[in-house]
Amino acid sequence: MAVAIAAARAWGPSRGLGRAALLALRRPGARGLARSHPHRQQQQQFSSLDDKPQFPGASAEFIDKLEFIQPNVISGIPIYRVMDRQGQIINPSEDPHLPQEKVLKFYKSMTLLNTMDRILYESQRQGRISFYMTNYGEEGTHVGSAAALDNMDLVFGQYREAGVLMYRDYPLELFMAQCYGNVSDLGKGRQMPVHYGCKERHFVTISSPLATQIPQAVGAAYAAKRANANRVVICYFGEGAASEGDAHAGFNFAATLECPIIFFCRNNGYAISTPTSEQYRGDGIAARGPGYGIISIRVDGNDVFAVYNATKEARRRAVAENQPFLIEAMTYRIGHHSTSDDSSAYRSVDEVNYWDKQDHPISRLRHYLLSRGWWDDEQEKAWRKQSRKKVMEAFEQAERKLKPNPNLLFSDVYQEMPTQLRKQQESLARHLQTYGEHYPLDHFEK
Amino acid sequence: IFGEDVAFGGVFRCTVGLRDKYGKDRVFNTPLCEQGIVGFGIGIAVTGATAIAEIQFADYIFPAFDQIVNEAAKYRYRSGDLFNCGSLTIRSPWGCVGHGALYHSQSPEAFFAHCPGIKVVIPRSPFQAKGLLLSCIEDKNPCIFFEPKILYRAAVEQVPIEPYNIPLSQAEVIQEGSDVTLVAWGTQVHVIREVASMAKEKLGVSCEVIDLRTIIPWDVDTVCKSVIKTGRLLISHEAPLTGGFASEISSTVQEECFLNLEAPISRVCGYDTPFPHIFEPFYIPDKWKCYDALRKMINY
Repeated sequence: MAVAIAAARAWGPSRGLGRAALLALRRPGARGLARSHPHRQQQQQFSSLDDKPQFPGASAEFIDKLEFIQPNVISGIPIYRVMDRQGQIINPSEDPHLPQEKVLKFYKSMTLLNTMDRILYESQRQGRISFYMTNYGEEGTHVGSAAALDNMDLVFGQYREAGVLMYRDYPLELFMAQCYGNVSDLGKGRQMPVHYGCKERHFVTISSPLATQIPQAVGAAYAAKRANANRVVICYFGEGAASEGDAHAGFNFAATLECPIIFFCRNNGYAISTPTSEQYRGDGIAARGPGYGIISIRVDGNDVFAVYNATKEARRRAVAENQPFLIEAMTYRIGHHSTSDDSSAYRSVDEVNYWDKQDHPISRLRHYLLSRGWWDDEQEKAWRKQSRKKVMEAFEQAERKLKPNPNLLFSDVYQEMPTQLRKQQESLARHLQTYGEHYPLDHFEK
Repeated sequence: IFGEDVAFGGVFRCTVGLRDKYGKDRVFNTPLCEQGIVGFGIGIAVTGATAIAEIQFADYIFPAFDQIVNEAAKYRYRSGDLFNCGSLTIRSPWGCVGHGALYHSQSPEAFFAHCPGIKVVIPRSPFQAKGLLLSCIEDKNPCIFFEPKILYRAAVEQVPIEPYNIPLSQAEVIQEGSDVTLVAWGTQVHVIREVASMAKEKLGVSCEVIDLRTIIPWDVDTVCKSVIKTGRLLISHEAPLTGGFASEISSTVQEECFLNLEAPISRVCGYDTPFPHIFEPFYIPDKWKCYDALRKMINY
């Protein structure tokens, strides 16, 4: 008896208790008993008579059989969809039952974007703008997700998310102004086309380096959490960018620091010419989420309702539970990577045509609208004409505007202009006084 | 304030007591990932909140180089001032410590000097450190604050309890003189100050000693004004000679003060090698090397 008592004192109360009772002794973490955080186990009492792993680094059982875990890429994480390829709702309980007005906004945003893309791509071909990137085939990922967010939710993008801005009513004039780098460009003409930004619409200015936005979005989400802002941050990136170290950094920080963020991966099959088979060997990006402790889902990116539903639910929970969510939206990049790319060099026209004709987010939504009686061929014709006219008007205006004053080359490097930089600015001004004829000054504001 | 091991007080005890004082949501550890630490810090700053990101050793700042140079430095410019990360400060232990070798001794300020959009600041003493760090934190531009680690223990000074600011981009003439200008920053300021005494005693030479304090944007006017007076300039830093920040100072001064120079500008720096372990006493630009270079300049 004395021995047993002494033993109990030495080894702790777990001596003689069954496994279930032992589990009850663990302090429940925020996510429940069964998945209590390894850290919290450090406060557990140690008992070597009870042969359980005590390692701080993992919450697991022992196994005495040598077994490697086989990654499952043959049948990966399933792809959530609401509509079939003909725009018919498959499972009525998943129908978001969005009102006509909203669904029409989806449709008009996607098609207006498509129209703008065609015209601006052409304008690059004609030498009017220096560069462009289209969004063909991915409009559903932009609009479905944007529609599920609050207007105040902060957006960090990569470069192929113009539809998010379109949905937030960013005017055509400003899209064009940035591409033309004219006086109306909010970015003051500093960046290549499609590097949009809008403070008012909570869309952080795009930068060219890939995946750099990912840890930044996490930091912003952390700040939003601290501010009790009831705000989510959404971070878009492609499956190629997901290979960058910054992606790994962002995922890990979001999970450990418990940030209200939605990671939205547009898996469109290509990173310029690199197909997914050369980008990763695992089950895409969604399968990485659980590795970080992140709740994840894979959706049909060409199904705007599936994107909407997943983003809506992720948003609700991210804010309520202060944890990250990962959505991998499967889609296809119908266009070339950019105007500097000719994708016929690495993929077949047949492949592209399949997606353009048989599985396009715009067509699928149009079928849905038609079958609901919310749209018809006449409205389609009228809208095509109207949207083209709107785009052409904005385009012509953008063409005519001057570029900003060359002095804007020097400002905003710092909040205040350093002395030495001001001297450089003055030196350019003097240089132009003598050599101005060799510079395109006529196109710039005085 | 966040970074590796910040919560328990930090490997140099810089954050001791802060977590208890300000709470775990304000003082916390991050995973071991410098690119993440800086990227995360940028994101916080983009929302307007103050972010102080610690990089455990300046030697490990390089994974974050892309986030610093391509993102933080360019945030305001590329967005047309729609967005900025001005409320970000990165702090990192810097410089030789006697036994740090390749990866615990580096002075990487030259890499960042080439990057418009950030400020790089290095204090020489506790009093300077507080005033300069507060200025960096309040500055509306992303700042890197390098802290000479050898001074954490070695330097003792009276520091006011209340907050105070020391302006950025202002060099300090800590000792006036007439014959030669000596410029350094961080730990090396103490070396050249001693060299100034040696010069006075052994050579009767009067040295003007300048602590640069801010590497970029640097105080060209103070340095040039001094060289116009003395006609001679010696710059010293631990970082390797080639491409070190002394080359920028030297180049600018010869442009601005060419006709005032009595001798070529002298740079006394680390050798063009990685920072060695056992050979540290031979590697560093100590007072004898500085004294010798000064003597040659005087006799030019």
